[in-house]
Amino acid sequence: MIQLARALAISRKDVESYYGKPPLVTWGLLFPAVLILAVYIKDRAGYLDVAPGIIAMTLLFGNTSMAAIVITFEKRSGTFERLLLSPLGMGTIILGKALSAAAYGIATSIVLAVGLKACMGLPMARPDVFIAGLLIGSCVFSLLGLIASVMVKEVFEAMTLMNFFRFPLLFLSGVFVPFAQMPGWLKPVAWLSPLTHAGEMIRFGIFGETAFASPWVPVAASLIMFAAVCVLSGLSFQRYARR
Amino acid sequence: MRQNESETQVAVRVAGLSKAYGDLRALDGVSFEVPMRRVFAYLGPNGAGKTTTINILCGLLERDGGEVSILGRDVAADPVLVKSRIGVVTENSNLYPELHCRRNLEYTGELYGLSADRRRSRAESLLNDFGLMDKAGAPFGTLSRGMKRRLTIAAALMHEPEILFLDEPTTGLDVPSARSLRDLIRRIVGGGATVFLTTHNLFEAEELADEIVVLIGGRIVERGKVSDIKRRIGGARCLTVSFSQSVSGGDVLGVCPAIRNAELQDGALKFEASDLHDAIAQLVAFCNKENIRMNDIGIREPSLEDAFVSLLAGAGKSDGKDRP
Repeated sequence: MIQLARALAISRKDVESYYGKPPLVTWGLLFPAVLILAVYIKDRAGYLDVAPGIIAMTLLFGNTSMAAIVITFEKRSGTFERLLLSPLGMGTIILGKALSAAAYGIATSIVLAVGLKACMGLPMARPDVFIAGLLIGSCVFSLLGLIASVMVKEVFEAMTLMNFFRFPLLFLSGVFVPFAQMPGWLKPVAWLSPLTHAGEMIRFGIFGETAFASPWVPVAASLIMFAAVCVLSGLSFQRYARR
Repeated sequence: MRQNESETQVAVRVAGLSKAYGDLRALDGVSFEVPMRRVFAYLGPNGAGKTTTINILCGLLERDGGEVSILGRDVAADPVLVKSRIGVVTENSNLYPELHCRRNLEYTGELYGLSADRRRSRAESLLNDFGLMDKAGAPFGTLSRGMKRRLTIAAALMHEPEILFLDEPTTGLDVPSARSLRDLIRRIVGGGATVFLTTHNLFEAEELADEIVVLIGGRIVERGKVSDIKRRIGGARCLTVSFSQSVSGGDVLGVCPAIRNAELQDGALKFEASDLHDAIAQLVAFCNKENIRMNDIGIREPSLEDAFVSLLAGAGKSDGKDRP
């Protein structure tokens, strides 16, 4: 409990310092909203097909970028060293940093979804699964951002490293082409992508249907990936701290 | 390793500490003890291994060998507990530039598990003690370098640590700020904390430290009280004498065996005295014989800097074989 309180303190401070800044919130909302609006103007019915993917993409880019930028920035300014010198377990630091990034991604996605529902009639068949998709997806993506942040020294290096896998994922994870419509040979690759499963949970939340046999499939896959990135981020941070 | 070292008045005990980066031996069997409630200075040239030692003591770096005990605990085995009892001020003032001073202190308090009331009262008290109350609402990034340094030290004291590690505390500060910081360090020790100081500033070490250790090439080459080291290593005392008429160094050296190395400096003769009493007696006898008066005489004790330079020169002759 003591360490949890300290993790929450780290998150609160990060929201205050970085995530709560108006330009960042605006950017986090404007980018996906404009993308969806562009599709809506072209095809008023077809925008619904890409909305779940774009919300998932917003999570992926927002969370990985912000988590990586914040830690890389703090490493350079020396403030991250303060955390390592404080009486905090490595899990506390990871939790604190991941929670704030995840909160940012979840908040912007919810505001985006509420806006789309109010302005464009976005359905919401299973809000609970939608929220679960946001929660698990944002945690996985935030942890991926944290892992990238301890592998590099500069912010641009973190961005380059993450873009190396983020852009291919956009085309492999059902963002623009739903999983059900993908060619058969691509589906096994899409299965390995965390974006696919977050996107499918969000899609199920919106439409009440999924390309998988059951909505529990992407939930289970996301949880397994979450466990994997938890272990990986723990190992990466331990390695960084004892460099 | 002994337990409950706080009861035995040892704040830090290091035995046979070693660390290598590839082929470079950064620390090679370093051993020392830091008594409680003292200022302990850890000196050495760049690359001597000072920061490596501090990083190991603070749990930022794993050691290759040896034992480290902070207040009776091994930081590698019990990092959270040890870190909760020490404060660390790194070479750079590394608080959060966007947070204002009070929030920086309170956030630090949160990381150390202080209650909300305690955080508020400690922040208030430290802002007051460190002369920063009028800057409480200013973002850290807008402070002068001296104020940043003071607030960084204040943040390290939020949880009232038993040991404070200070890495180059006055680097880059102007003279009044550095002096004010040294006064602060004395007050911190007066309050019951132990200060572990690393510095290049030998004047600072001489002013503050009760004991020093000199590290060169990853090995301890000297340790002890400042006065002892100066006497042992710093060499002879210097006499500076101005005479009523022109005198050459050779004239004096020929008749004053207690004096050596005469050198003209700013119109006065500077000598080294192997024995002060004999040197002055011989100088007076010389003046009486030659019917010359001494207009002025100055005596300078060897400084820690003299001792340090001697150690570096000695190490330069003998070292370099083991370090790639």
